[in-house]
Amino acid sequence: MKYEVVMGLEVHIELATESKLFCACSAKFGADANENVCPACAGMPGMPAVTNKRAVELGIAAAIVTNSEITRIMTFDKKNYFYPDLPTGYQITQWSAPICRNGWVEVETSAGKSKITLKQIHIEEDAGKLVHDTRTNTSLVDFNRTSVPLVEIVSNPDFRTSDEVIAYLIKLRSLLSFAGVSDCKMQEGSMRCDVNISVREAGSAVLGTRTEIKNMNSLKAIARAIEYESGRHITALETGCETLIQETRRWDDNAGETFAMREKENATDYRYFPNPELMPVYISDEWINEVRESLPEMAHEKYLRMTEKLGLTEYDSKIITGSKNLSVIFDETLKFFNKPKEVVNWIIVDLLSIAKGDNKGEDDIVIDCEKFAKIMNMVDSKIINRTVGKKLLVKVFEDGIDPEAYVKENELGIAADTGFLEHIIREIISENEKSVAEYKNGNQKVIGFFVGKIMKKCEGRADPQYVNELLRKILDNTDL
Amino acid sequence: MLNIENYEAMAKLKLPDNEREWINIRADMLISSFAELEKINTDDVNPMVTVLDLQNILREDITVKMLSREEILSNAPEQYAPEQYDGYFQVPRTLE
Amino acid sequence: MDCFITDYKTGAALNSGCVVLEDSIMQKGRLTTAGSKILENFISPFDATVVSRLIANGKKILGKTKLNEFGIGRVSQDRPDDISGAVTAVADGVAETGLCNDFSGTVRRQAAEHGLCYIHPTYGTVSRYGLIPAISSMDQIGVVCRDLAAGFDILSVIAGSDPNDGAMYPDKVYSYSAASAAAGKNLKLGVPRNVLDLADEAGKSAVMEFAKQFDTAEECELKYFCVYSQVMYILGCAEISNNINRYDGIKFGYRTNNYKTLNDLYLNTRTEAFGLDTKLAAVMGSMVLSQEQYTPYYEKAMKIRRLIKESLEFDKYDIIVLPSGMKGDPYKQNALYALATLAGLPSVSMPYHGGGIHLIANVKNENALYTAWEVTKQ
Repeated sequence: MKYEVVMGLEVHIELATESKLFCACSAKFGADANENVCPACAGMPGMPAVTNKRAVELGIAAAIVTNSEITRIMTFDKKNYFYPDLPTGYQITQWSAPICRNGWVEVETSAGKSKITLKQIHIEEDAGKLVHDTRTNTSLVDFNRTSVPLVEIVSNPDFRTSDEVIAYLIKLRSLLSFAGVSDCKMQEGSMRCDVNISVREAGSAVLGTRTEIKNMNSLKAIARAIEYESGRHITALETGCETLIQETRRWDDNAGETFAMREKENATDYRYFPNPELMPVYISDEWINEVRESLPEMAHEKYLRMTEKLGLTEYDSKIITGSKNLSVIFDETLKFFNKPKEVVNWIIVDLLSIAKGDNKGEDDIVIDCEKFAKIMNMVDSKIINRTVGKKLLVKVFEDGIDPEAYVKENELGIAADTGFLEHIIREIISENEKSVAEYKNGNQKVIGFFVGKIMKKCEGRADPQYVNELLRKILDNTDL
Repeated sequence: MLNIENYEAMAKLKLPDNEREWINIRADMLISSFAELEKINTDDVNPMVTVLDLQNILREDITVKMLSREEILSNAPEQYAPEQYDGYFQVPRTLE
Repeated sequence: MDCFITDYKTGAALNSGCVVLEDSIMQKGRLTTAGSKILENFISPFDATVVSRLIANGKKILGKTKLNEFGIGRVSQDRPDDISGAVTAVADGVAETGLCNDFSGTVRRQAAEHGLCYIHPTYGTVSRYGLIPAISSMDQIGVVCRDLAAGFDILSVIAGSDPNDGAMYPDKVYSYSAASAAAGKNLKLGVPRNVLDLADEAGKSAVMEFAKQFDTAEECELKYFCVYSQVMYILGCAEISNNINRYDGIKFGYRTNNYKTLNDLYLNTRTEAFGLDTKLAAVMGSMVLSQEQYTPYYEKAMKIRRLIKESLEFDKYDIIVLPSGMKGDPYKQNALYALATLAGLPSVSMPYHGGGIHLIANVKNENALYTAWEVTKQ
C-alpha cells in the first residue's frame, strides 16, 4: 500500500515594527518580564485600540512578495477565549476581511520545483508568554509579547514531503527578511510554524484524518516531527493499532514523539465579531505601489546583480543572499570599499569563521561595516598585510576597536616605507653573499630564504609579495 | 428554552440555581422579543459595525513608555504580588 | 431653585464650575469601580482625556458618583434602577455638572425626572480614553446639568478629537451656541405618532406643549421603533460580554479565594463579583455571538441598525421630539433612548411642563438642541 502525506502550514511571523499593534509599547524582543507593558496590553480597561500604520505596511509588503491578492478594504475582528496569556479575553485578528488571499510561493527541492499556494495572510496580535514555576507549581505570565503584531500565513494543503516544507520555510524567511517584514528568527520566536498533516492512499482524492502539530522550534525539529507523525498515521492506517482522531498534538523534541494536548479547545466557539472601534483600512493602489517601490532588493534580484553585474561566483553569491543579514553587511561594506570580490572573500572566509567561533550564525553577526571596510582598505593598499588584517578583524568583531588607530598604536603597519625596506634588504644581502651568488647562478629557492630573513627583521610587518618584488629588483640590479 | 449552561460556560460563569432561574426567565422573555426582528426584510442590507463613516485611522510606529513595570504590576491581587515572582503575574498551573 | 454650597465667609459659590464624574471615568491614582465588585480595588493608572481637559481648563473635580454596574440599564420590573449618583449630586446642588456614559438612557430619564437636563453628545465627539467600556460602538460621555448653558460649557471643554481614541471625528474643537429664541421657533420638529401613543399622560402632554412653541411641528414616523429595544439589547449585550472578558482576577481587581485550578479561578472570580444584570448580558452576549445564532441575531441586529439610521429624515425635520417616559416595563422604555444611542446622534433630555421630553438632532447638530432649549425658556 502506497501512502501520500498531505500537509498544510500555518506560519506566524512577528512583524519588524518598533511598537505593538494596538498600543505604543515597544515590540522588541528580550526585555525583562512585563517591562514593555501598558494598561492596554495588560488587559486593563479604558484604552481604545489604535492600529499601527507600519504593521499594515509590512502586511502589504508580505502580500506583495507572496503574489497575493490584496483586500482593498481590510477590517479587524475580535476572537473570544479565556487563557492567561490573553489579558483582554479576546484576540484582535482578521476573520472576515484578511489583508490578502490566494498568494503562492515557489519552492525548489532536490525533487524539483513546486508551487505552494496560500489560502490567506491575516494580521493579528500575538499573545503573552507563560512560564512554569515548578517550585510553587504555578504558571507565570509575561505580557511583553502581548499585542506584538503578527501575520499568519495559511497555506493550502499542497505539501507532500518534509523537504518541501523546509524549503518553503527557508524561502518564506528569505522573502520576508529581505523585504524587511520580519527578522524571521525561529530561535527568538519571530517565526513559528504549525503543521497540519494527514495521510491517504496514494491516488485517493479524499483527505485522511488531520492532526495539527505544534511546538517545533527549529527546522530540524519540524523535519523530525513530520517524519514521526506521518509514520504514526501510516502505522495506524496499516495496522489499526490506534484510531486517528482530529486533534492538536504537541511535538516533544527530547522524547521524539507527539502527544495529544488535553486542554486544547478543539470545539471552542470563538464568537468572532467585527471590532467596532477600529475603522476599516482602505488600501489604495497608490499605497501598494509606494510599498512595492520602497521594498529593499530581494534575494533573487541581488543574486542576479551579484553574478551578472559584479562578476561574483554563483557559490559566493548564494551564500551572501542566503541571509538578509549577510546581504546587508555586504552592501554596507561595499559602500566604503568598492571591491566586491574582496568584500565577499573577507565575509565568507574570515568573518563567518570568526562568528562561528563565537557561536554566532549568519543572521546574528553584528559588525561595524565602516571599520570592516577600513581593514580591507589597509590590506589592499599594503599598509598592513593580510595576517595582521585577520587579527584586526577579530578585534573589531569582539571589541569594536578603531582599526587605523590600533595599527598606529601598535606599529603594525608594513614597513611600506621603501627606503626603510631597501635598507633592510641591502643589509640582509650584504650579510649573505653566498646566497646572492647562488641566486645569480639560477637558484630561485634562495628568494624564499631571503624573504624569510627580511620578514623576521621587520617583525612580520612587511607585505611578503612586495618584499619579494623589491628584493628581486635589488638583486637583479646589484652587480657583484 | 435556552441551553443556559452552554453560554454560561462560554462567559466563564457558574451560576447558583436561583440566579440561573432568574436569568432563564429574563432570557426567555428577551428571546421572545427578538422574534420581531424576523419580520424585517434585511436582504441586501450591509451590517453596520460603527455609525462613523471613517477610514484609515492609523497611528505612527513610535514607542512610548507609559508606565513603569512597578506601576503595571501594582494592581495585581496582593497575596499574589508579582514581586515574589520576579515581575510575573501568577496563575494556577496551566496544562502544557 | 439654584442651590449652591457657599463659602460661609464670603458667600461666594464654591461649587460653581464643579464637576462630578460617574465612577466609570478614570482619574489617575484613584479608585474606579464602574459600579462593580470586580473592580472594587482597581486604582486607575492614568487620567481619562476628559479629566485632563477639565483640569487644564480650571474645572474642579469633586469626586466620583455611583452608577449601575458598567452602566447597564435594568431590563426587568423586579429590579428597578438605582438613582444615578451624578443626578443626585447635581440635583442637590453639590456639583454644577456631572459626566456620565449614558448609552442605556437611564441617566437621561432620571435627569428629566429630577428637574435636570442631560446632554448625550454625538458619538465620536468625546474621547473614550479613560472610560471603562461597556458598548464600544455606543459609549459616549455626556453631561448632567441644571441648565444647558452650563452643560454645553463643559461639553466644549471635553469634546474634540484625541489620538488615543480611533473612533472619533477629526474635528479638534467643538463650540456650541444657541440661536435666539425667535430664530429657534423656525426649527422644524418631528413628532412620531406611533411613539407618542405609547407615552404616559404626562409625557404626551409635555410633548404636545413643547411642540406648540414651534412654528413647524409635524408628525413623523419612527419606522423601526418596535424593534429598537431588541436591536439595542442584542448589540449591547454582545459588546458588553466581550468587554468584560478581561475581568479574570489575574492582573487586577477582585480575585476569589476559592479555587484550585485555573478554570475555578475564572468561574468563581466572575460569578462572585458580577451582578445579575451583568451576568444576564454576559450569557445573552455569548448566545447572540455563538456560531449558530450569529446570523439570525447579531448580524441581523447590525443590519437593522443600519436601516434604523438610514430611515431618519433629517431633511424633513431638525429635531425629533419624544416623551422622556413611557408606559410599560423598563425593557420597552429603553426604546425611547435607544434611537440616539444606536444611531450615534446627539440628544438632550429635559423637564418640561410637568413631564419631560427627549430631543434628538442630526449628527453634530447639538446646536439645534441648544436652540430648542432657548425657546422653552420663554
